[in-house]
Amino acid sequence: MAEQRVKFMVNGRSYEIPIEPHMTLVEVLRDKLDITGTKISCGAGECGACTVLIDGKAVLSCLTLAITAREKNILTIEGLAEGSDLHPIQKAFIDCGAIQCGFCTPGMILAAKALLDETPNPTHEEAKQGLAGNLCRCTGYVKITDAVLAAAEKMRKGGS
Amino acid sequence: MTRPLKPFDYFEPNTIEEAVQILDKYGTKAKVLAGGVDLVARMRLRQIRTEYVVSILNIPGLDYIQRDGAGLKFGALATIRSLELSPKVQKDYAMLYEAASQIASVQVKNMGTAVGNLCVATPASDIASALYALSAKLRIISPASEKIIPIENFFVGVNQTVLEPGEIVTEVIVPSPAPQTGGAFFKLVRTASDIAKVNVAVSLTVTDNTCREARIALGSVAPTVIRANRAEEALKGNTLEPKVVEKAAQLAAQEAKPITDLRSTVEYRSEMVRVLVRRAVEKALTRARA
Repeated sequence: MAEQRVKFMVNGRSYEIPIEPHMTLVEVLRDKLDITGTKISCGAGECGACTVLIDGKAVLSCLTLAITAREKNILTIEGLAEGSDLHPIQKAFIDCGAIQCGFCTPGMILAAKALLDETPNPTHEEAKQGLAGNLCRCTGYVKITDAVLAAAEKMRKGGS
Repeated sequence: MTRPLKPFDYFEPNTIEEAVQILDKYGTKAKVLAGGVDLVARMRLRQIRTEYVVSILNIPGLDYIQRDGAGLKFGALATIRSLELSPKVQKDYAMLYEAASQIASVQVKNMGTAVGNLCVATPASDIASALYALSAKLRIISPASEKIIPIENFFVGVNQTVLEPGEIVTEVIVPSPAPQTGGAFFKLVRTASDIAKVNVAVSLTVTDNTCREARIALGSVAPTVIRANRAEEALKGNTLEPKVVEKAAQLAAQEAKPITDLRSTVEYRSEMVRVLVRRAVEKALTRARA
């Protein structure tokens, strides 16, 4: 099917590019827009590495047809920091040692952001539930949930 | 990692009428796109080949969840997450909430619609089991007609429904529970994001200590979700003392026709039907009395 020119809003910036309907959002982000923080891992909706927020909701960009995300607000890991100031969740991941190889981290952090936007004061169980769709194959989830809870506390206090 | 999608022609109708006309025209070569979690994944895995994708995402007014005197209604674009977070569902349809809240991940629930989940027709559908126990009906629209059918008449086999080319499910209708009715949903999974090895949904109406109505649905133990009819009969008209409940649970285990696959075995699934039916009946009974 012929290419169509489509407008995407990624991290507050507008891009107008030609795409084909069978392109997934993660392919458009990575290959067309060169925004490569979002990762492709399983490509089948199991691992959460490709998580981005569309209009504030966590979704899997590997199973989203890019054309269905046009003109919506897409947030990727690149859109979290303000200049050189990291987002509190990013800081907490570093401070807690919640990153090993880093491949799952963008998806983890965006899933955590969606969780904390909805539930600013999650229990440990809620933090685990919120990240249940994100797999880490390096180590485990203890430091990751620690980081999410630490970030939650910081954000509630309004600090960064 | 799965492969990129093969090209297809893409349609974005703005009305249901337009959508069913396109689907009717292209027949089995066309697929409906709602949340996409199943369709896009299986297209990437080459399990589904399709030449035409018809997105219903741009049809306005299909994402509603309504509660009135007659019951609960939700549209084809109501996501699993929106059902889970709906106070109407949480308050009056506890087992539907329990089924929705335990599915996969937030991401999958944000994308996936309950109707889409039904149309995939997996025997492991948690939503389908809950809706069997709740006596739900489905509204199906085609270019020429509109009909409402009980959910039990919807499934034909694994990944097969009665839907003909050109038909789509637009709405799920769940009647209000009768007074003194309680429900419960249980499932057993390997990991939180995997599909059920076994799921069980039970609805009971209990007055004067006697079970008047019982509906028991079993998932992942037959080609479609099934009702455990003999187990239901064993409960109806009786006081639900432990012996009666255990007998019904055993009957349900006999009615299940599971297979052995990578998730579980025939023996284990059957035994877990017995355990989960007992637990679900006990919980539904507590709720019916509350």
